[in-house]
Amino acid sequence: MIEAQGLTKIFKDKKRGEIRAVDGVNFKAQPGQIYGLLGANGAGKTTTLRMLATILRPSSGTAKVAGFDVADDPEKVRAHVGFLSTATALYGRLTAREFVEYFGRLHGMDETALAKRIDEIFARLDMNEFRDRRCDKLSTGMKQKVSIARTLVHDPPVMIFDEPTIGLDVMTARVIVQFIRECRAQGKTVILSTHVMSEVEKLCDTVGIIHNGKLLAEGTLPQLRERYAEQDMEEIFVKVVGE
Amino acid sequence: MSARTIGVVYRKELMDMLRDRRTIVSSILVPILTFPVLMLAIGTLATIVVRKATRESPTVMLLGEANAPSLVRLLRKDTKFEIVPAAGDYVQRINDKKLRAAVEFPSAFEERLRTNPSEPQTLNIYHYEGELRSQSVLRNLEEAIEKYSDSVVASRVATAKMPASMLTAFELKKENVASAEKVSGNILGMILPYFVIILCLTGAMYPAMDSTAGEKERGTIETILASPAGRSDLVVGKFFLVLTFSIVTTALSVLSFSGSVLIGAKLLAQVTKSFVLAVSAKSAAVVFLMVVPLAATFSAALLAIALVARSYREAQSYLGPLIFIVILPGMAAMLPGVELNNRLAMVPVLNVSLVAKDIFAGQYHWHQIGIIFASTCLYAALALFLAVRQFNREEVLFRT
Repeated sequence: MIEAQGLTKIFKDKKRGEIRAVDGVNFKAQPGQIYGLLGANGAGKTTTLRMLATILRPSSGTAKVAGFDVADDPEKVRAHVGFLSTATALYGRLTAREFVEYFGRLHGMDETALAKRIDEIFARLDMNEFRDRRCDKLSTGMKQKVSIARTLVHDPPVMIFDEPTIGLDVMTARVIVQFIRECRAQGKTVILSTHVMSEVEKLCDTVGIIHNGKLLAEGTLPQLRERYAEQDMEEIFVKVVGE
Repeated sequence: MSARTIGVVYRKELMDMLRDRRTIVSSILVPILTFPVLMLAIGTLATIVVRKATRESPTVMLLGEANAPSLVRLLRKDTKFEIVPAAGDYVQRINDKKLRAAVEFPSAFEERLRTNPSEPQTLNIYHYEGELRSQSVLRNLEEAIEKYSDSVVASRVATAKMPASMLTAFELKKENVASAEKVSGNILGMILPYFVIILCLTGAMYPAMDSTAGEKERGTIETILASPAGRSDLVVGKFFLVLTFSIVTTALSVLSFSGSVLIGAKLLAQVTKSFVLAVSAKSAAVVFLMVVPLAATFSAALLAIALVARSYREAQSYLGPLIFIVILPGMAAMLPGVELNNRLAMVPVLNVSLVAKDIFAGQYHWHQIGIIFASTCLYAALALFLAVRQFNREEVLFRT
């Protein structure tokens, strides 16, 4: 479960002064559902998700992730979250297995449980063929699997995906999309950001349209279609943002 | 903070760094190989020069040989130079470095010495001031001629029926009371501390950049920040890694340096007998104890600065100038007259450099050693605090 209330992030820029990257955003994401944050580049999607993952601190407002406050208990929040974005790269000089092990250890897992968990994940994601290969020697698809394995190692109840398929080829993107669906099927709370309309239609149970840091519209796909009298997501988006 | 997490971070960073070829080269191979190679090059060069110099015996011309037959006989017996036949153009030849010196005997030189002792006489030596070989042959000539002069005086004293002891009023004796450790301490103490300080810094540089700006450049910073590890744990783990490299690089260089000097000294002993190297285990241990907090200060400071950079290249441009900032106080310690006192014991870098100089010379000012250790530890703590603060600043972590 994710609950954001008045979530705000202000950046100070020397030239442009104060920038309200995220401005009083409220939303709720439920377990077993996928919440999609839809917005153009620079709309505030990444900043919102980084605050939920406690990589950034909110300037004001609060958010609760898996029952913990992002400002008061950031380490507990991170222990219950799997965070994946195209910016979360791998340590190239570690092998796939060592990389996942490292994050398992940072989660405080004991060695026997960790070894068991890794065997399980590597078998499920079909990664055993390259488990002892260095990450910088892996293909993009393999790298994505290693990243997925990292987010899964501690079996978190909440998953945060920041533009998970951006820059990936069709086959690799499909692996990710399938993985996101699996997370929902397992009853995890999933939130993802994207600017790809088709991804929203394919995946999301609830959609929030974010523009200039503000959440302008929110609802299930049928609700949004009814409210804006449009079938196509792109048309809905343009109507919301253009208003 | 959790010691377990710090340990996990440290072990991973160490494994990561050791797999990097650049690290192996810059932190292990270069410090080990630099000095033996340097020593070998210098040694070979010195041997060639010395051998060439000894093979060629310097030439001397004697003008008016007939005026001083017994002195000429004495000079001809001297093997340190070679007598060449007299010629008129000796001044030109000395200037052309074809001739090293010429001795001119005035007419009836020896005869007048015998027959008219009260009459003053002059002997001329022509030489090339500032030219090394000419100066050395000048010394040899002076030595030989003085010996002759002494024998003339001695025979005059004997004919006057006076005792030979009349000639010397008293004897002058010079004795070195400094221990071998102090003598070599002065030479070693000058360069070694300076050297160790620079190595501490350069050894820490690469890992500091790699584990901060390098993470940003490779895009792993967001991955690690999304892990449950506390930011302080991350910094402290990285700090210990950088410190390890700083100390290992320094230790390897110093060992390799000492080894090269010891071997080199044996080779050089054939040339200069007076070269002694004496560094006691005690002085090495105390200097090491002084250097560890300094290395810690450098490691933490470098982390704090390198984190600001967005890329490896940018980090290099920030850290490069630091070498000069550190060289200055390191060099100041080499200046004559800059001696350790309670006030200088608080000045970072300079204090360690100065105390190392004293320790290598066998002097242990425990009071100041205490002040320096404590103040350097304080600086290290301050730098580490700064590094932790940097890791908690979003504008530093996500600079655009």
